[in-house]
Amino acid sequence: MSVVPKEAIEVIAQSIGITNLSPDVALALAPDVEYRVREIMQEAIKCMRHSRRTTLTTDDVDSALKLRNVEPIYGFASGDSLRFKRAAGHKDLFYIDDKDVEFKDLFIIADHGLTEGGVPGDHILRLSELGVDPRKLVHRRGDPETRHVRRKKLVIEAPLPKAPLDVSLTSHWLAIEGIQPAIPENAPSEASADGKKSESKEDGLPMDIKLPVKHVISRELKLYFEKITELTKNRSWSIIFKQALVSLATDSGLHPLVPYFIYFISDEVTRNLNNFSLLFALMRLAQSLIQNPHIHIEPYLHQLMPSIITCLVAKRLGSRTSDNHWELRNFAANLVASICKRFGHVYHNLHPRVTKTLVHAFLDPTKAFPQHYGAIQGLAALGPSVVCLLILPNLEPYMQLLEPEMQLEKQKNEMRRHEAWRVYGALMCAAGQCMHERLKKFRGVFSPPSRAVLRSNGKIAAMMTNKRKASTDNLMQQPPLKKLATDGSMGAMSMNSMQVDMQGAAAGFATGIGASHAGISSMSRQLSSEQLSGRELGGQTGKTSSVLAQAWKENMDAGHLVSSLFEFFGQSMFSFTPKPELSFFL
Amino acid sequence: MDEENILKFVSAYLKKKGFKQTEHAFQEELQHSKTTNSSSSQISSNSQFDPDIAKQILSFAESENGPTRYQDGYSKLRSWTYSSLDLYRNELLRVLYPVFIHYFMDLVANGHLQEARSFFNSFREDHEIMHLRDLQKLEGVLSPSHLEEMEFAHSLRQSKVNIKMCQYSYELLLQFLHKTQSTTILGIINEHINFRVYPGQPSSISDDTEVVTLTGSSQDAINQVNEKEIHWGLLEDSLEERLEKTGGLTSDSEKAEGENKEPDWDDNKKKPVEGGKQGSSIKKLKKDKAAGAAGKPTRSETTTVVMAPRVKPELALPTVSAEVEQSILEDLRNRVQLSIVALPSVSLYTFVNTHNGLNCSSISSDGSLVAAGFSDSSLKVWDMAKLGQQSVDSGLQGDSETTPNEFGTSGGKRSYTLFQGHSGPVYSATFSPLGDFILSSSADSTIRLWSTKLNANLVCYKGHNYPVWDVQYSPVGHYFASASHDRTARIWSMDRIQPLRILAGHLSDVDCLQWHANCNYIATGSSDKTVRLWDVQSGECVRIFIGHRSMILSLAMSPDGRYMASGDEDGAIMMWDLLSGRCVTPLMGHTSSVWTLAFSCEGSLLASGSADCTVKLWDVTSSTKVSRTEDNFLGGIFYLQLGFYRNSSF
Repeated sequence: MSVVPKEAIEVIAQSIGITNLSPDVALALAPDVEYRVREIMQEAIKCMRHSRRTTLTTDDVDSALKLRNVEPIYGFASGDSLRFKRAAGHKDLFYIDDKDVEFKDLFIIADHGLTEGGVPGDHILRLSELGVDPRKLVHRRGDPETRHVRRKKLVIEAPLPKAPLDVSLTSHWLAIEGIQPAIPENAPSEASADGKKSESKEDGLPMDIKLPVKHVISRELKLYFEKITELTKNRSWSIIFKQALVSLATDSGLHPLVPYFIYFISDEVTRNLNNFSLLFALMRLAQSLIQNPHIHIEPYLHQLMPSIITCLVAKRLGSRTSDNHWELRNFAANLVASICKRFGHVYHNLHPRVTKTLVHAFLDPTKAFPQHYGAIQGLAALGPSVVCLLILPNLEPYMQLLEPEMQLEKQKNEMRRHEAWRVYGALMCAAGQCMHERLKKFRGVFSPPSRAVLRSNGKIAAMMTNKRKASTDNLMQQPPLKKLATDGSMGAMSMNSMQVDMQGAAAGFATGIGASHAGISSMSRQLSSEQLSGRELGGQTGKTSSVLAQAWKENMDAGHLVSSLFEFFGQSMFSFTPKPELSFFL
Repeated sequence: MDEENILKFVSAYLKKKGFKQTEHAFQEELQHSKTTNSSSSQISSNSQFDPDIAKQILSFAESENGPTRYQDGYSKLRSWTYSSLDLYRNELLRVLYPVFIHYFMDLVANGHLQEARSFFNSFREDHEIMHLRDLQKLEGVLSPSHLEEMEFAHSLRQSKVNIKMCQYSYELLLQFLHKTQSTTILGIINEHINFRVYPGQPSSISDDTEVVTLTGSSQDAINQVNEKEIHWGLLEDSLEERLEKTGGLTSDSEKAEGENKEPDWDDNKKKPVEGGKQGSSIKKLKKDKAAGAAGKPTRSETTTVVMAPRVKPELALPTVSAEVEQSILEDLRNRVQLSIVALPSVSLYTFVNTHNGLNCSSISSDGSLVAAGFSDSSLKVWDMAKLGQQSVDSGLQGDSETTPNEFGTSGGKRSYTLFQGHSGPVYSATFSPLGDFILSSSADSTIRLWSTKLNANLVCYKGHNYPVWDVQYSPVGHYFASASHDRTARIWSMDRIQPLRILAGHLSDVDCLQWHANCNYIATGSSDKTVRLWDVQSGECVRIFIGHRSMILSLAMSPDGRYMASGDEDGAIMMWDLLSGRCVTPLMGHTSSVWTLAFSCEGSLLASGSADCTVKLWDVTSSTKVSRTEDNFLGGIFYLQLGFYRNSSF
């Protein structure tokens, strides 16, 4: 009849040493026990309310007992919030999930020599206090073959638990003039309609419900966004647009607008592939956004990348022939490279995905030359190692494809020939950079363009002469070689000499390397050619110094690379060899 | 029915009940009457026109032998009421609950414990919605001795419940009881129910709240109490009044603004505190309204408000220095009036890492200090000015590495001032109006006075015998009141260690209290589900507000002194008219305990914070309907504390 069965009373009585409790007494006590327990719990609930809680804790019971002038039951208090688990098979029976801690996790038994039978008394005492037979521990952990009772030292291994964090106070705006701002601290307003949520709160169980947050941006930001998009669409070459780009790249408060901008870019790119100026403006916009240190653009990269890649390898960009889509592709290539460089380590698959897309575009012979050009530029911008791995192995077949297109006899279409030359220039530039990186590594030994090779390629060289003018134009249109420019050891010097070299190579490479040069550069050029010829000799005869031999051995690969590149590009490759005079000046 | 039989039953009854003397006297008298008058006309006539009594006696004798009759009787009454006409059902249903609990207690008192338990369990569900907490209390009663020990049961047994009923319902009930010969029910009804029969149609509203609540005195006494005169007006010659009189003459700059000078109202500040998930984060909210915000109340609006009558203070009020007066006036002038069209801004303070230990919080009236009481007996005070500074400094530290880790939390320096002195959980803390003192009440039954200037404990007030649940400064300072588990509220002044008044009368813990705006009255809310209003001067109870169904947790007084709001454990908020002692409107919306309530300074908005993780704003002026619900929190436990905030520059 009472919730407390009389057996419980009997058990308790036995546990405190009363063995002769008559059943009648137990029967009479049971309802009283229930009454007292209920009374205490009602007091405990009062204490709970005054502690502004909705979950009853052991502390509440303790304070209720104190209210009744009863000694509280010590040892059950818990600082943590309790996690209740439902007992299986019972609807309303809960228990606290109390983890069992492995004894061996707490204590480690360290051996301290073997003293026969020398188990210090205090250690046994301590272990037996814990309810553990020390010998068992020894046997479990010790070597089975030793029969010695080892002296063990009890060490508490577990580090001290971290001190709980101190109370602190934070503040935020819950409502501004009655309207709840959509900031992370505030729960989304839809939560109120969610009946389930309030229910879960009732029983105080921790629950994590995330609801979609409606994005609200301030009026100022809206205006800003509208202004920027208007500028991008209509006045992308005005000064004010440049200022806007600067603002985009530096302002700190733009983060709420990022998703809108990303959407704007991708939307406009897909719709306006024939509007060249808009595409360029959009790419500039993207670049500014990426540059902004205050914007956390990472989560939006997957939306942004397709647009940029499109601007890199699309079949047609812009509607008129006058549109310099090559420049746009170069721009996009650099953008891709900068993104890969900055986020490559965070986005594991960013690098592979980009390169895969580009290589696909590059290796597909059905794609147009501008697409190939974009792919090559993109790969080249990703760095010499990418070029080395992905372009160079495919260089030979590709050149076979490209060569007929470049020749006046075979390709009558002026436009197409021009494109082919563009691609040729891009390839050369990429390969050259790659080679430069390789050769730069060892000083003193420079790529020896053997005259033999040169001569054997006389045919191509002759052909080159024909096309010299076109090639020169192309070369001049190449963007400044970023790799070199950024190379700290080279600096402006290298740029200078490169330009000069290019001119030189283009002007008269049929007559040899040491042709007409002017000023200092001609001096140094002379030096280099002398050295080159000397080395060439050494390379062929094997009478070279040991240093050179060593270098050659180490860089046989590079040597092969260089010679094979010469097969394809002829002497224009010279321009990419690091110059010894640079090291002199440095 | 034969005369002989009746006599037999009567004597049998007397014998059974053990009324030996009565029986003896009865027999004697019987003998006497028999010998003297062979034909006793009196008895015969009695028996003729009162056969009912005989029947009743008969059935009563029968009923003695079976406790199962109780269950039958009750289930009969129950099914009868449920099947009665809709029109009268509501009224008749009210009878069920008292009959139920008294039946149960009768059974327990007679020692039929098994039957009592089964009876209780079989009909318990009927009353759970309305009387869950009472049932929980009664459930544990398992022996006659418990009945006597338990105060609740004791008072139930002794008091009568009032049931209002229309004439026809009453007659229906009596008819039924006679027809079924339910003498036990009749007995209970006679003993414990006080019918107030009124002519006419039955009332449609089932406001049976009076049945629920025990007041320890009869309804008439309550009515008497509630008829006492109270002066709800504001203090005369208060600063606000002076401001209103002087109007715009206070400031040159405001003169320039022309007519648009509002005698602005106080910024309302609310400070709810939330224990977030797992109670680890506690949020606290403060409402304030920046000066010059959108809503521009005009002068005419404020004057149309019925001016509160002015009353003289009954207490000797402390004097206010001219400087302080000036600053208060300045604040009053800068107030922006809040209303349904000009909602306040809310700043929420969140306590993090409290480990379930935060019990209460309070914000000083200028908003510069925040105090929080913890279960570990400590009181912690944060300086809000430093709070902002700290973050700035830590930012600097990140930039330049030059700042020593003075502000770093790892550096060991606390961001708050720790007040230690209590030896039990701190249940309440309150700032003096000027913010230079803090009072805290604790489970160690003491109240301590702390100085925020000296950061030290000044006085320990001992008087209560049990945990002090609440302490509140009076609006003028100097005086304060405390509420305790010992069922009393006490009024103190800062300079005496003995209480000035002891307000006794509640039947259970006094859980919360609030001063009236004019300092002449104190309202107390109790676990006995009543709110009482006490006269500070005489210490008498002047109003009893009955209507809540569970323990009162929070109280707020409207700034004009006319209304009071009280929130209970179930989430109900009630607005009371102090003058009439009646509930104006119940404000239903919260689903869990209402921890805190606060009026805006012009009294048009009421804010409530609840354990259901919401802060709700209620429009009090427009017939006090729910105007707006806002502000949901992520956390599980939620705790609010409200205060008033004067400094609009914050």
